[in-house]
Amino acid sequence: MFSLFICILIFTPIALVALQFNNNTENWDHIQQTVLTTYIFSTLILVLSTAILSTFIGVTCAWLVACCEFPGRKFFEWTLILPLTIPTYIAAYSYYDLLEMFTPMMIWIRSNFSPESMIYFNDIMVYLVTSLVMTSVLFPYVYLSTRASFLMQGNQLIEAAKTLGHKPSNIFWKVALPMARPAIIAGLSLVVMETLNDYGAVEYFGIPTFTIGIFRSWLGMNDMGSALKLSSYLLFFVFFILYIEKYFRGEAKFHQKNDSSRTYSPNLLKGKYSILAIFFCLLPLCLGFIIPITRLLFWASSVSGSFFDITFFQVIFNSIGLASVSSLLIVTLATILIFTSSYFQSKIVKVANQFAILGYSMPGAVVAMGFLLIAGYINQSMGYLLTGTLISLTFAYLVRFLAVAWQPIDSGMEKKCDQINQASRILGNSALISMFKLNLPLLKKSIIVAVLLIFVDIFKELPLTLILRPFNFDTLATLTYDLNSQAQLHESAIPALLIILVTIPPIIFLNNQLDDRL
Amino acid sequence: MLKNVLPNLIRLTKIFSLFSILSGEINIYSHRHYDSDKILFKKFTQQTGIKVNVVKGSADQLIQRLVTEGENSPADILLTVDAGRLERAKKMGILQSIDSKILRKNVPQLMRDPDNNWFGLTVRARVIVYAKDRVKPTDLSTYEALAEPQWKGRIAVRSSNNIYNQSLLASILAANGSDSALSWAKSVRGNMARSPRGSDRDQARIVASGLADIAIMNTYYLGVMSNSPDITDQEVAKKLGVFFPNQDGRGVHINVSGAGVTASSKNKKEAIQFLEFLTSKNSQEVFAKENYEYPLKVRKNKSKLLKSWGKFKYDQLQLSILGDNNTDAVKIFDKAGWE
Repeated sequence: MFSLFICILIFTPIALVALQFNNNTENWDHIQQTVLTTYIFSTLILVLSTAILSTFIGVTCAWLVACCEFPGRKFFEWTLILPLTIPTYIAAYSYYDLLEMFTPMMIWIRSNFSPESMIYFNDIMVYLVTSLVMTSVLFPYVYLSTRASFLMQGNQLIEAAKTLGHKPSNIFWKVALPMARPAIIAGLSLVVMETLNDYGAVEYFGIPTFTIGIFRSWLGMNDMGSALKLSSYLLFFVFFILYIEKYFRGEAKFHQKNDSSRTYSPNLLKGKYSILAIFFCLLPLCLGFIIPITRLLFWASSVSGSFFDITFFQVIFNSIGLASVSSLLIVTLATILIFTSSYFQSKIVKVANQFAILGYSMPGAVVAMGFLLIAGYINQSMGYLLTGTLISLTFAYLVRFLAVAWQPIDSGMEKKCDQINQASRILGNSALISMFKLNLPLLKKSIIVAVLLIFVDIFKELPLTLILRPFNFDTLATLTYDLNSQAQLHESAIPALLIILVTIPPIIFLNNQLDDRL
Repeated sequence: MLKNVLPNLIRLTKIFSLFSILSGEINIYSHRHYDSDKILFKKFTQQTGIKVNVVKGSADQLIQRLVTEGENSPADILLTVDAGRLERAKKMGILQSIDSKILRKNVPQLMRDPDNNWFGLTVRARVIVYAKDRVKPTDLSTYEALAEPQWKGRIAVRSSNNIYNQSLLASILAANGSDSALSWAKSVRGNMARSPRGSDRDQARIVASGLADIAIMNTYYLGVMSNSPDITDQEVAKKLGVFFPNQDGRGVHINVSGAGVTASSKNKKEAIQFLEFLTSKNSQEVFAKENYEYPLKVRKNKSKLLKSWGKFKYDQLQLSILGDNNTDAVKIFDKAGWE
């Protein structure tokens, strides 16, 4: 019952948004006639180009690192995940002038061709640059899942192909890649969701995506109904992606083995090939980590010492405290929910759970809107003011990030505890005993992974925190945003760097966990 | 368990907020992120002993939050840029009418709400900025003239998501009617050097870089840039000239930064005191000096830089009309394909 209650509670903001799908609002006709197609197309173009770039970079790096041997491979193995520590909005800030670098070229086009061709070309560059900036920090999702898949694939198949005399390139295209497909799709779906969630970068580069449209209708036209309706469109798009992901992953269980180790001989790359490999791994590492970090460090170094006053340390404390408490709470709830579904084998709880984890696929701003709706009802009916308290912020995080805890704990539960729980239940052990005595020790690792994942996510989170935070309360993320909107680029580099620095150790730890499991 | 804990926690936070009321302070929801404000808040506390708490955020989100919070909102003042937004806040019923002689005296009539729900604090002019080496000021005349084909591929202006542009179009709508506003927006969109993107400052930068020849932007950004610690920004500002359009007609489009006392305010007296303080002569000078905004009495400004841009005639349109026309302006932008 408790689980069901929690699920419903978490799902309410999402349901409220989904219900708007059929709602006819005052400006909807106008939106449909004028800008809806623009939103759809620019979102699709951005998502597709980011997805294609991420797949290309992620898969190639994964193949090189997992299945080849070249100088520096070990180094790239863990450094290639570092771009994950940089949120898309910070990446956009650090590349704020990238587009302006093409200005001489644009002027050349204008003087040699026509103003029209310059404008046209400029538009192409905007999408190219934005998706490149997004890719540079999002490709590690594909890289991680694909690398894991390459390492986990039964070596027998690849070895067999080798003995049959196939060239490495043939093996890659005909054996390894098809088998890694579910993993690639899984990584890609994360890339797509992060792209859809982004507000900072697309606003910065001026791409009218759905998220921009939501803000525009809500705040620009003062029409929350239309904004919610746009959100519901986005939501159904996300449902579709989730469905595809699930469809492909359903097959994946066949060839994922836990016990395979890296026994087959990797392809030794020599001479120009090894240089090519190094170059190919170095490029995304530079774009997604070294260049942004260097620029931020450069800006930060010019900031005077007076910036580091007590309030600044208070902000660091806020960020760490909020992220720790929230991530622990979210993981506790996730564990209870997953356990209930496993122990009681209840269909209703299972379905309810599925709905409760949808929050992650929703852009943070949409969750905030759903939450404001609820807060409004509560405020009117009970007189409790929920906005601007840490409770409300934590609840919003719960809605948004439950799914992040879900993945590792659920798969851990499925692998290790499902049968135990059923046995334990038949033997008459109570739910609590099963949970504490049997499941928690077995799931320890998954739980630590989940806590760290959420910690990292909350630490970086911007839109929700921005809207729902209390008085005089800043986190490193909101401080970065504030300083940046005041055009204090140099000052904003400091909290941005801190976000990155704090998230590096958990990310490296997570990477090692992944390696251990293989 | 949760059922018992939650209300208690909420009660606890309420008790804390009660403490804050007793010790004399005001709570501000502010969209403005300027050093001038920090200086003035500090001064106010020094003078009156009233503590100033601030939540910064985007104005639209703060307005939404005020609506949601209703009577229970802890905020006393909404401080934001653009009359269009202030008017929207008024229409949503989150501000209250204030009767203050001082405010009526300090704030010119067109820069405050006719029902005294909000008051302008600083004035900004949205002008045409041009590259001194490529454009003669005599080539420029009015906003309307920017729609002419000679500007094809030469104009830089930001997205229509931005309220400054929405208010500019709202003023054109008020002056010329909606058909002509639509064709204006369409033509200007067609004349842009690139799809709209970035801040007002970025528009200045791309004019300086040679990609565009003129930009529509607010004056104070140029002030900030020419006094920036960043040398490249200073150089950008040096290359640009300020042109006040429509001087033979209705005058340049102006707007205000302003504030209102919230309907739910529990510290109304202090809040009014605060607004009066911000409109006082001394505070007005701080705004002009630190943030290069025009004072409410535009012609009385003492800043050297502001004076160097020259005197100008400004549109006498009652600024609350910008709010009335806002939704229509956004729709016209949508129809014109101006992102």
